Amino acid sequence: MTLARRFILDRNLVHRFGIVAVLLLISGLLAATTDSFATASNLTNVARQVSINGILAVGVTFVLLTGGVDLSLGSVVALSGVVCALFAHPGEHALLVPIGMGLLTGGLCGLLNGVLVTRGGIAPFIVTLGMMTVARGLALILSGGKPVADMTPALTDLAGDVGPLPIPLLCFALVALVSWVFLGRFRLGRHLYAVGGNEPAARAAGVSVPKVKLFAYGLCGLLTGLAGVVLAARITTGQPNAGQAYELDAIAAVVIGGTSLSGGVGGVLGTILGVLLIGIINNGLDLLSVSSYYQAVIKGVIIVGAVWLDRRQARS
Amino acid sequence: MRLTPRIALGTLGLVATVLVTACKKAEPRKPGEWLVGYSSRDQSAEYTARLGDAVQARAKERGVKLVFVDAQADAQKQISQAENFISQKVDVIILNPCEVEASSPAIDRARAAKIPVINVNSLTKAAPDCYVGSDDEQAGILAMEAIAKKLGGQGNVLMIHGIMGQSAQIHRDAGARKVLAKYPGLKLLDAQTASWDRAKALALTENWIQAHKGKFQAIFAHNDEMAMGALLALERAGLKKDVYVIGVDAIAQALDAVKAGRLDATVFQDAVGQGRGAVDAAILMASKQPFEKEVMIPFQVVTRENVDAFLKK
Repeated sequence: MTLARRFILDRNLVHRFGIVAVLLLISGLLAATTDSFATASNLTNVARQVSINGILAVGVTFVLLTGGVDLSLGSVVALSGVVCALFAHPGEHALLVPIGMGLLTGGLCGLLNGVLVTRGGIAPFIVTLGMMTVARGLALILSGGKPVADMTPALTDLAGDVGPLPIPLLCFALVALVSWVFLGRFRLGRHLYAVGGNEPAARAAGVSVPKVKLFAYGLCGLLTGLAGVVLAARITTGQPNAGQAYELDAIAAVVIGGTSLSGGVGGVLGTILGVLLIGIINNGLDLLSVSSYYQAVIKGVIIVGAVWLDRRQARS
Repeated sequence: MRLTPRIALGTLGLVATVLVTACKKAEPRKPGEWLVGYSSRDQSAEYTARLGDAVQARAKERGVKLVFVDAQADAQKQISQAENFISQKVDVIILNPCEVEASSPAIDRARAAKIPVINVNSLTKAAPDCYVGSDDEQAGILAMEAIAKKLGGQGNVLMIHGIMGQSAQIHRDAGARKVLAKYPGLKLLDAQTASWDRAKALALTENWIQAHKGKFQAIFAHNDEMAMGALLALERAGLKKDVYVIGVDAIAQALDAVKAGRLDATVFQDAVGQGRGAVDAAILMASKQPFEKEVMIPFQVVTRENVDAFLKK
């Protein structure tokens, strides 16, 4: 595929300029108003903090591209984290077991979402809303309502660094890179756009719509499982009440990045920008010691403002 | 999905099953047995879950029939639960309130229906008939006094708030600020919320380390979950030895961390004492005996010296 086509698939370059501008503007403001924002150690810090939302956002990009939605991200993060922690007590299993179980848990939840959406014909909003409460309940049942502690250092070390780079960031970067290549270069990736853009047309063109959707939800679930494992490593416990409202930050990042909520338009590059924007806002407001009440307001205004600027520019 | 008769029947069947299962609990009462409704703030948070367990255990011990519901941190839900208690004609309602203001209508409705109400653990704007709990202001005072003592009254402090607007957050903050006012050398560098959440406190402390590295000597977290998050951030940055960290609640992990010399201290809140006290007060009220309007269960500071006594509890 030519480079030009790739940009068309990702809507277009211009579309992302708005977000890049907002990102640069806010970064510039923070660099000018604080001594600590534009330092290597703080940028590493931001990178570490955005990784979990980043992995989730890339995952849910696939679902949003098909015109669906996944509201169960936060609860599945908690469930996968709890399952991972349950298998991570020191000296019980090899390191791959807790990681694998966490991924498996997320993947299964995602596949179940996908099956209910495609075979059950239930709206994604409802299916994943159900999964949101079921997964939260399962996390509470499996953990007995208490944080699952006593995790092997081998696993919690995964929240640490390799050289100067945080391992969670490396996970996010790898996930984003593979997803970007996949969406642009692979037939199944292009089918995701086709299904979200015009489902009847995709079907007429011989695309197996259920398979494509099942794939999107399954992959999103798998990545949610990964985010759960990373979170458990980061907070050294499996927390049944972790991940509250994570889906909202993830979906916000995707939408800021230019992916349409009605499907068919967008991509991973935009999502990365959206994730960075949200991460930098969170970090910057703490650095500036902005009161908690104002933080919430400012964050909301910036998110809506960024999308508004972006869409306005895309139209002109 | 089309609504075929089969689907409609299936749905009806499902609803019926759920209803029958739910109603099973409502067996007729034996004479002399009190029916008490308990609405927990949030059974997914460790402290309130422990409190709920303590209430259930005490009710069983004293032969009280308990209707146990979880408001899942939603004040709106808690109000509906109080309304359900009223229509179930319980003898006493025990409320573990979600919020100071928003849970108040639950109290008003119960009082209007002439059913006595006990608040446990947390206050509301509307006055209940009886309050069993601990004075959260005291927790704030104890924690900040411990910090003042450790720093010799000189230094910079950071404070991590619980969910803004909850009684525990408001009063722990007020207590801490009272102590800060007493020590002019003790400065509050910044205070932010991490909503009782470990991951949020971890990120917040990481950001603080960027903004104020080397400039703060103590962190007071309104609960242990957040203290554990702050602790992790400091340990990973290699700064723990320079910063005193104290939380509130004495959850199991925090006690282990105190024992291991990682966390400096926590303030013990007595879930079992509060739960027992609430059920005991409910029985007194139901049987029209005199009761105290306020039962205070004291907080205690837990450090490495006395942690063993609390690990046993």
